[in-house]
Amino acid sequence: MHTIDLLMGGFASAFEIGAFLTVIVGLLVGVVAGALPGISFVNAMAMALPFTYAMDVTHAMLFLGGIYVGGVFGGSISAIMINVPGTPASLPATWDGYAMTRKGQVKRALTIAVTASAVGGLISALMLTFLSAPFATFAMKFSQPEFFAATILGLVSVIAIAKDRPVITLTSLLAGMAIGTVGVDPLYGQARFSFGISEIESGIRFVVVMIGLFAIGEVVDLVATDRDLRPRKSDSKLAGASFSDIWNVRGAIARGTGVGCMIGVIPGAGATPGAVIAYGIEKQVNPRGKEFGTGVEAGLAAPEAAKNATTGAAMVPLLTLGIPGSAATAIMLAAMMLQGVNPGPLLFIMDPSMVYTIFAAMIIANILMIGAGVGVAQVFSTLMRTPPAILAGFIVVLSLIGAYGVRNNIFDVYVCLIFGAIGWAMKRVGFPSAPLVLGVILGPLAERYFLTAVANSRQDYSVFFTRPISATILFLALLFALWSLWPTLKSRIKRQPA
Amino acid sequence: MAMIEKARNVPASWRDEKVDAIHHEGRTKALARLVPAATAAGLLLAALVLPYYMFSGDRRPEISGLGPDAWPSMVLMLLAICSAIWLASEVRLLVKGRISTSLAAPQDENAYHYGKALVGIALVIAFGRLLPVVGFPLACAGFLLIWCVYGGLRNPAVLLLVPTIGTAALLWMFMGLALMPLSRGMGGFDRFSVAVLRLLGIY
Repeated sequence: MHTIDLLMGGFASAFEIGAFLTVIVGLLVGVVAGALPGISFVNAMAMALPFTYAMDVTHAMLFLGGIYVGGVFGGSISAIMINVPGTPASLPATWDGYAMTRKGQVKRALTIAVTASAVGGLISALMLTFLSAPFATFAMKFSQPEFFAATILGLVSVIAIAKDRPVITLTSLLAGMAIGTVGVDPLYGQARFSFGISEIESGIRFVVVMIGLFAIGEVVDLVATDRDLRPRKSDSKLAGASFSDIWNVRGAIARGTGVGCMIGVIPGAGATPGAVIAYGIEKQVNPRGKEFGTGVEAGLAAPEAAKNATTGAAMVPLLTLGIPGSAATAIMLAAMMLQGVNPGPLLFIMDPSMVYTIFAAMIIANILMIGAGVGVAQVFSTLMRTPPAILAGFIVVLSLIGAYGVRNNIFDVYVCLIFGAIGWAMKRVGFPSAPLVLGVILGPLAERYFLTAVANSRQDYSVFFTRPISATILFLALLFALWSLWPTLKSRIKRQPA
Repeated sequence: MAMIEKARNVPASWRDEKVDAIHHEGRTKALARLVPAATAAGLLLAALVLPYYMFSGDRRPEISGLGPDAWPSMVLMLLAICSAIWLASEVRLLVKGRISTSLAAPQDENAYHYGKALVGIALVIAFGRLLPVVGFPLACAGFLLIWCVYGGLRNPAVLLLVPTIGTAALLWMFMGLALMPLSRGMGGFDRFSVAVLRLLGIY
């Protein structure tokens, strides 16, 4: 009852006109920043940080929380509309979301995506409100071996997206992981594969690889095939998703939300593994799993729900323990500390009204996100009515600005161009690029966690199997791999003569 | 052969042309069949050779246990194994004369303009390469203009307005609002960029 009272107080504070507007502005900034490839919501949060100096801590958190919630969804707008993920976590949205766009169902895809994201985010915000304490205890049990195991689960789930081509998918994933090893190693500071070029020593950023692989090839294809992405009039009856469409994917949303809440609470895991694992699980569980990648609604809904479910969950360790689990929550921590507030268990005792205002704002932000998402998507939809040549030209310019903006370094633009040419070639020959991008994203994380876990345990490799949570996650990863590979193995066995 | 036989039934005036086209198509298909094997072989070669180029010059570390080369070596070894398995299956299919289905190329080959695509890639690379030399304002406007022409737009008003308004809007958004230090170019181009930025009220 005490929690409900505090939450009601939080709602009262969050509905004050100033606070409410702060959440809305944050949401819009986040959705727009997320939708622009390369200009991620984390960049937007970092740029917004100085503006929070002029606010009190509650308004600062409402503003940053709005950007966070909106930004995590925003990346899916460009992923669905032009096959260019605005953020790494939006990568799965390109697989079924863009396929729906190509069928002329762009509005339907966006409606499903924004609803699934809002539901996932809302449930995780409720979890943050009511279950912070047990989840924080669970998160505290995670250390380097568990982080490594969770990353391996993310890597293994990539196999699930393989369309009967596990070896090629693995090859692509490993190629991405190899690219991820370029630059200074996380333990000894030794540069690898730099070939004497100083700019390479700081590594190849996954955002740059992602923009190059997806944006450049897609843009060139858009013009080279005279493709028209405008919604077709013949599909007008499919323009938006009806309630029954959303109801039909309720299972996918529920599973995605569950995965997102579990993954999000682990510090360091983040939205990308959450979305990929949710997609992988949904592909196995869903009766239409074999059709995934051709524009199946559940294939879009599950990862969308998962990635926004990580937003509330990621704030559990931040607010309860003062541990930021991602770059976004680290910025929120910085904003709190700049205001002289130290998050942790004491915060719930010292200033519960502020904590519950943040909880209420997260709930409100996820509900309002439907409006903000649809509004921004409408603007983007209008932009898509422009001739493909103009649209493609601006995508190129925005993509290269995005690549440059990662470190304000022209070298990243060159890397982006190289991967653009590679991505185009990969697309033409049909070599899968999504596992490669996931390898570049998750590979360095896996390396860091693996090396630090082994170093902390004095070179004892059994640490991954002797710790219960780590061993369980690795066992689940093994089961998941076998589960994903089973249909392929079964068909191979059937083909073999007796 | 069946296709060539079929071509023999067409009028003599363009029979040779048709047969040549079929032969050309056959050569293209034969080359396309080699793509999966070549990709696998390339990746295998890279995975085997790259470990020798991991550290440049005399920077090879002397660390016992898990050094900075441990993880990349493991990844490259797994990559070599996977590409070797893939290559073996491709070679087996080639030997048996079967068509590989390992790479699923898009089904738009007939409608795809490869020449146009290559020109597009060249334009994008040229834009990126010229960006630090001529500066963002000029490179962006020039690129948008050329790209619109390349995309088939010929309306002078569109060709004038899209690059100018587009560049101004992008400059205002990224250099004015987001304070991103986009390149202004070198020498005279720098002065030109500064003048444009002053005109727009950004500087």
